[in-house]
Amino acid sequence: MMTGLLMASPALAHDMVPGAPQSQPILLQNALVHTVSVGSLEDTDILIENGLITAVGSDLQADGAQVIDLTGKQVYPGLIALNTFLGLTEISMVRATVDTAEVGKLNPEVKASVAFNPDSELIPTVRSNGITHVQVVPQGRGLTGQSTLVNLDSWTIVDGEVDTPAAIHLHWPTVWRWSSDEKRRKKQQEQLDADIQTIHSAFEDAYRYHLAAKADKVTSSDIRWQAMLPLFSGEAKLFAHADNQGDIEQILDIARRYNIKPVIVGGYDAWRMPEMLSEAGASVIYPHVFSFPRRSDEPIDLPFRIPAMLEQADIPFAFGFRADWDARNLPFAAGQSISYGLNKQDALKAVTLDAARIMGANKMGSIAPGYKASLIISSGDIFNPMEANIEAMYIDGRQVDLNNRHRQLYQKYLKR
Amino acid sequence: MLPPPYLLDDKTKMINNPVTRYSALGLLLFSQTALAKTPLTQGNEALTALTGATIHISPEEQVENATLLVKGKKIYGVVDNDDIPKHALVLDLAGYTLYPGFIDPYADYGIEFKYPKPDNKPPVYEVKQLGAKSGNTAIHAEKDWVDYISPNKAAAAKWVNNGFTSVQSAKLDGIFQGRGVTLSLSEKPANEVIYQSQGKHFMSFHKGSSIMDYPNSLMGSMALIRQTFADTLWYQNNKDKDDFNASSPAFVMNSAWGNLVPLEQQQFIFATDNLNSQLRAGHLMQEHSLSATLLGNGKEYARLNELKGINAPVILPLNFPKAPDVSDRDAERQVTLEQLRHWERAPFNPALLASEAIPFALTLHDTDAKAFWKRLRLAVDMGLSKEDALAALTTEAAQIAGVSELAGKLEKGYIADIVVAKGDLFEDGEIYSVWMQGDETILKPRAEQALIGEYQISFNGLELDLVLEQGKKLSGVLSGGEQEIKLSKPVLKGQRLSFSADLTEAGVEGVGRFVIWFDDNKGSSLHGQLTDAKGAITPVAGTRNTSSTAEDEDKDSKPLPTELVGRLTSPNVAYGLSSLPSAEKLHIKNATVWTSEAEGVLENADVLIKDGEIQEVGQSLRTPSGYKVLDAEGKHLTAGIVDEHSHIAINGGTNEGSDAITSEVRIGDILDPDAIAIYRSLSGGVTTAQLLHGSANPIGGQAQLIKLRWGEDASSLKFKGAPSAIKFALGENVKQSNWGDQFTTRFPQTRMGVESLFRDAFDAAMEHDKARTDYDKLRRSSQRKTLEPKPDLRLQAVAEILKDQRDIHIHSYVQSEILMFLQLAEEYNFDIAAFTHVLEGYKLADELAAQGAGASTFSDWWAYKFEVYDAIPQNACLMNDKGVLTSINSDDYEMQRRLNQEAAKSVMYCGMSETDALNMITINPAKQLGVGDKVGSIKEGKQADLVLWDTHPLSVYAKTQAVWVDGKRYFDRTRNQQETRLLGEERAALIQKLLASPASRKQGELPADKLEPEWHCDTHYNAWGENSHIHSGHNHSSHNHH
Repeated sequence: MMTGLLMASPALAHDMVPGAPQSQPILLQNALVHTVSVGSLEDTDILIENGLITAVGSDLQADGAQVIDLTGKQVYPGLIALNTFLGLTEISMVRATVDTAEVGKLNPEVKASVAFNPDSELIPTVRSNGITHVQVVPQGRGLTGQSTLVNLDSWTIVDGEVDTPAAIHLHWPTVWRWSSDEKRRKKQQEQLDADIQTIHSAFEDAYRYHLAAKADKVTSSDIRWQAMLPLFSGEAKLFAHADNQGDIEQILDIARRYNIKPVIVGGYDAWRMPEMLSEAGASVIYPHVFSFPRRSDEPIDLPFRIPAMLEQADIPFAFGFRADWDARNLPFAAGQSISYGLNKQDALKAVTLDAARIMGANKMGSIAPGYKASLIISSGDIFNPMEANIEAMYIDGRQVDLNNRHRQLYQKYLKR
Repeated sequence: MLPPPYLLDDKTKMINNPVTRYSALGLLLFSQTALAKTPLTQGNEALTALTGATIHISPEEQVENATLLVKGKKIYGVVDNDDIPKHALVLDLAGYTLYPGFIDPYADYGIEFKYPKPDNKPPVYEVKQLGAKSGNTAIHAEKDWVDYISPNKAAAAKWVNNGFTSVQSAKLDGIFQGRGVTLSLSEKPANEVIYQSQGKHFMSFHKGSSIMDYPNSLMGSMALIRQTFADTLWYQNNKDKDDFNASSPAFVMNSAWGNLVPLEQQQFIFATDNLNSQLRAGHLMQEHSLSATLLGNGKEYARLNELKGINAPVILPLNFPKAPDVSDRDAERQVTLEQLRHWERAPFNPALLASEAIPFALTLHDTDAKAFWKRLRLAVDMGLSKEDALAALTTEAAQIAGVSELAGKLEKGYIADIVVAKGDLFEDGEIYSVWMQGDETILKPRAEQALIGEYQISFNGLELDLVLEQGKKLSGVLSGGEQEIKLSKPVLKGQRLSFSADLTEAGVEGVGRFVIWFDDNKGSSLHGQLTDAKGAITPVAGTRNTSSTAEDEDKDSKPLPTELVGRLTSPNVAYGLSSLPSAEKLHIKNATVWTSEAEGVLENADVLIKDGEIQEVGQSLRTPSGYKVLDAEGKHLTAGIVDEHSHIAINGGTNEGSDAITSEVRIGDILDPDAIAIYRSLSGGVTTAQLLHGSANPIGGQAQLIKLRWGEDASSLKFKGAPSAIKFALGENVKQSNWGDQFTTRFPQTRMGVESLFRDAFDAAMEHDKARTDYDKLRRSSQRKTLEPKPDLRLQAVAEILKDQRDIHIHSYVQSEILMFLQLAEEYNFDIAAFTHVLEGYKLADELAAQGAGASTFSDWWAYKFEVYDAIPQNACLMNDKGVLTSINSDDYEMQRRLNQEAAKSVMYCGMSETDALNMITINPAKQLGVGDKVGSIKEGKQADLVLWDTHPLSVYAKTQAVWVDGKRYFDRTRNQQETRLLGEERAALIQKLLASPASRKQGELPADKLEPEWHCDTHYNAWGENSHIHSGHNHSSHNHH
């Protein structure tokens, strides 16, 4: 039975079918278990029932369970890739396949979940590197819409979407490269000021709408401000995209005004401002590991070291990967940060439990009783492409087919 | 009687509006109205003696208290004040200094001409021209700008106000801009102002107003220049042959060439907009053994040695930069160290040029003319000798403008172009007038200036001090004891002063109006009248207060510091090197050595390096004397990483994305040794990279293999002894699939057309080559009669491929196009060094292997465009397993420094062996690039390009400790960390210095350097801005891939 499991996903040239709901208890035995919540436990068993982890410990027993010996294997929680646009685009240069960004700057009501394509050929290639969930984010300018957290093995968005608070995205206007030409610079400044004013006005209008709604005085509905209501009542989360300290400060200012605890997405300069972020109750999604320093004189390895610096500054953070297909390299970005000072356990937490927390997803991202049984089994260190070898994956107790388009083509051409 | 009375009649002259007031000819030559009488006679060549002045006859020769004689338009000589001929009109210029009129050798003055603007819709591949001109509308070598001269007083003002009397001028538009003309800035008719009708040919890399797409890159401009020189020489060598007429098939006429022959006798001024391009222009002209003067940029100090080697004079604009804004934290973060350093060092640049004996002149070009003298004085304060400064304004400039025999000195026989200044212009002197061709233009009336000062006046029994001050406007006060009364509307005209003042505080009721006449031109005494509030008239008398005529000391003129807190590094950016590394004699001990040879991985092995080479590889080697020992226990040593496909470290565009074939352009022309990307990639263990042309056309440009010798100059980056190579491309990019709807007219638009284009190009190249060979075989006597085939650098480069003199690296994705090119190569009998990208190579692994074509691919990129939808991360394995010489390349700035991790992905995705994986970024690409015998493995005799890693080199946790190129340690992680600290300190010191500087030291030009993007295969960048059609590739993903 065990061998059946681990060899269950040889690349057969057929469609990848979503795993069937868990029908019997599964007992994983004798693994090195990276729990995230209580560290890494050697020679440990995990019991999975009805899609949930029900026990983690030694010598667990379960009647009628499918028992799988994982001696020599490692078990991790499924990885969560934040800040992607997977499923919104198939081929980025073929416009017909691109649903990533709306026009205009005030679209808080548009939802990534509406356009998410669970049948994207990209998805199986991403999950085969250990990623069980991704946050799908509407791109664009200003208030770009609402992201969704999805599992990567579903028939439709309905069974794919994870229950989280609404997540409203604000892409803060910025200018990274100011023109050296004074006139153009002035234009840039004017545009920037206008864009920022648009955001401020939007929050003001939405807040007014919120006050009116509370007093039952809305005379004509506004789809945009309607979508922002949960933000002011604390039921939705604000994901604000910014990298410059100055921009992040402005976001914190808005957040303070409306009593919002923001998630800063980007956060390149976040390590410079731990006190301010802490006061605001903000957390950070950091997607820039595989980047050059954003300023030419900065230390060449700064983007690699920022996660360690965030950790050291006690700023809650998770890794993001602003990409579609490329999101499969998320674990190696975490690995790169380990190489530059981030503790391995902290790195794991930042692609699992803390990612789930930032999304407001309950009981995800840890291997602990009561948690969702989304986990991956590898024969080696998943952060290091030299060793990483994801042999099996479970999402909510369902076994996931690790086949993908690439393996299919590989198998096909092995036969040539 | 001095000064002549007609100097005193009109005070409307202002600094910015010089008015010719006085003619040494004694005639009013330039009439403002058509009605004025213009004598028909020449007039007497009257003699004028400028006496009592300090005279700078030349930069080296100066006489005090002497007389300069001006006769007509010329200098008649310098004599003692006692030897003035009796018939000379004498101007007393005691206290004044005379300089030769200044010459600006690079100007766009007085030319009335506009190029026609055809209304072709972009993209423009061809333009119909009037006349037998060059087919490219950026070439105007046929123009002689002397034909378009129209003197223009208003336009001349910015020069004249600064003491310039003549300029070398051309219409500054295009690549070959035409022949300049040197002329006086005098307002005389065009016929009289020309000093040198055959000035230098003006050139630039910028295609200017030309609307043609070609060239849209810097390398394209360089190629066009090469082709034009080649054409000119062809014309020069063939024009006198009997066959050179319209009946000959090879005949072409082009008036641009006509104006460039004989080429070797032409002289050129080459304008560029930054240091790299200035050096490029210099090298390009050197390559053709042509004499050039280079327009400067103010950053010459950063590569002085290289500039000196070019041996070309420089025309320097004093474009000192405005101080970067560091007052605000967020603004400061936008400022680079290079900008801060440049702000500090720019005023030292002229002195540094002088110290290297690089001849230079000065120009107002592209600078704030009003700041010229302020900046020149700053340069003098920072070490430029006054003699060198004057030479730059006169003799050096005259040399460049071709008027050394006429202008730039106050010697007998030179034109009477003179600057009259009070005081030393290089300290705080001021220009009072400028003489052009013997005519004086007054800038500051000497007579009135002499009267500025303090007087004691009395009227109505009152004794008051009258103080006159000349700022931008005349102002003054009347004072007595504590009281100060400001003068209202003071006007000084000649020796007449008028003003009004409220005298109530002085005890005279109401506003009094004064008219005062000074008794002589020195203002020793004065007389006048006061009309008081009641209309009563009272006499006023006074005398000059000589005791307090001393000029106010400039209160805030603390001398500026002349020591520098910023460093000068190579390159002069953050992480540049203070000194270049030298080849180490090194014994690396006990390392795990990944040889990338048959020996595989050697544990506990030693490597000796010396003179840039690997001397010995073995175990327990003895340390030869004089060698340093590096204990590498627990560490790993690999060969330097080799990247087959990169676009780092280039300037001015990675694509000449205009024509479908641009094989004449060379990446090697446009290397950017300042690019921080070199250092960053070096830190990831990369030591060799092939810089490729982009994929905008089926036959792109010539590639350049470099070594990442951070700190060296552009030419030293080149990999010596590497084969020539060229980029070809297939698929979506070359058929312009993703360029937008505008781009649907260039052939080819399909993969069918791409094949056809190659055939066409190969056939044409063979014909071209045959014609050349046939001609070369002719006897000399026949050659003298027969027209030589016209050189075609484009076809020549293609012919080299067919003659096995140039390797092909071909951008490709899908199997159909790969197969097509394999078949074409077989048919035309050439080898393919490597298919690059080749993401569907796995579908044709057998064919690739059979034909011996290399394959250089990505580890895992896919899905970013339609032609990569079948890309798989097992591609490298499938090809490698079938015996294809396979490598992994980056084609990406950031990923280049993690190529070891990319190679490791083949271990993960398809179980490649670790040594094979490492070979994919070391020896395999080295072989593809034709340098497998020199680099790519650790073997005795090979170049010592080595990387020391702290752990397994394929691990995500591996970091380089040190990277050697040619045995020189260009990267060292410990040193990198120290440098980070030093840079922080240096930056802080520069910011403090800047903040503490007076406002005057913060003024200057805004940086003109154009920011360039990170280059990718499909970056469509127009190096010349507005005249072409920029469109950028997609940016949906975190990378731009192709």
